[in-house]
Amino acid sequence: MVSNAHGSPVKALLVEDIAVCTFVLSAMLRRFNCEIGVANNGKEAVDFFLDGKKFDIVLCDKDMPIMSGPEAVEKIRALGETDVMIVGVSADDNAMEAFMNAGADVFVHKPMKLETLGTMIQEVINKKNAMI
Amino acid sequence: MAATMKLSTLGYAASMLSTGLLDEQFQKLLLLQDGSDPNFVVEIITLFCEDGERTIGELTKQLDKRCVNFDEVADFVHKLEGSSATVGAQRVKNACIQFLEFCKEKSRDGCLKTLDTLRVVFYDVSGKFKAMLQLEQQQAEATK
Repeated sequence: MVSNAHGSPVKALLVEDIAVCTFVLSAMLRRFNCEIGVANNGKEAVDFFLDGKKFDIVLCDKDMPIMSGPEAVEKIRALGETDVMIVGVSADDNAMEAFMNAGADVFVHKPMKLETLGTMIQEVINKKNAMI
Repeated sequence: MAATMKLSTLGYAASMLSTGLLDEQFQKLLLLQDGSDPNFVVEIITLFCEDGERTIGELTKQLDKRCVNFDEVADFVHKLEGSSATVGAQRVKNACIQFLEFCKEKSRDGCLKTLDTLRVVFYDVSGKFKAMLQLEQQQAEATK
């Protein structure tokens, strides 16, 4: 059971170009009462941060048009966004290295399990609560 | 459990699982459906079928070109791989994995052969999905 002792929802950014995957991951995030932003490619994700939006967790696909996941992760980290948990998500077995080299915190193989997401959300909540 | 789906529909899904058309991922999707989102499974299946059909159309067009761009072909296959893995359409996913190997080898013949296989398995699963949704709707009408 994911708990949030201090009431503020976790802000999640979902970076995904496949509609089916966005639909399912959004449903999973709603289970954990997350506020959800959606970017259809890496550039849209970076633009969110350039616009001053803040997120607690980013779930990022690898292969997307315009800008890939790892490229977006690198750019987000280069903006000084070091606190946000970035999770690389892909069905590609070779994606882990690309994501971790770009600065992601974690790599998860697609499709993501609800329990795995729950563990990561709880980690984010614990970190937020520790900062208060 | 998917409280809002009828037992007969769940039975239909179970037969798709037992024949290997679907894998355990589909069962996990059923668990995501609850009272606050009673149409979740219907929506995801519909989206998968529509997107998949569009992708297969694009793949046919791409492989029909005189000069095939295998990177573009792979992009389309990758999308279908991702969506099929997400809904648990195991055979579609496996066909996509094989397809991607032929894309890497830049083998037009391999890609065309695999596209035929992909078409068969995709329309098999999407046909059964549509039948399942129809059954669900009929059951819902009958209990009104």
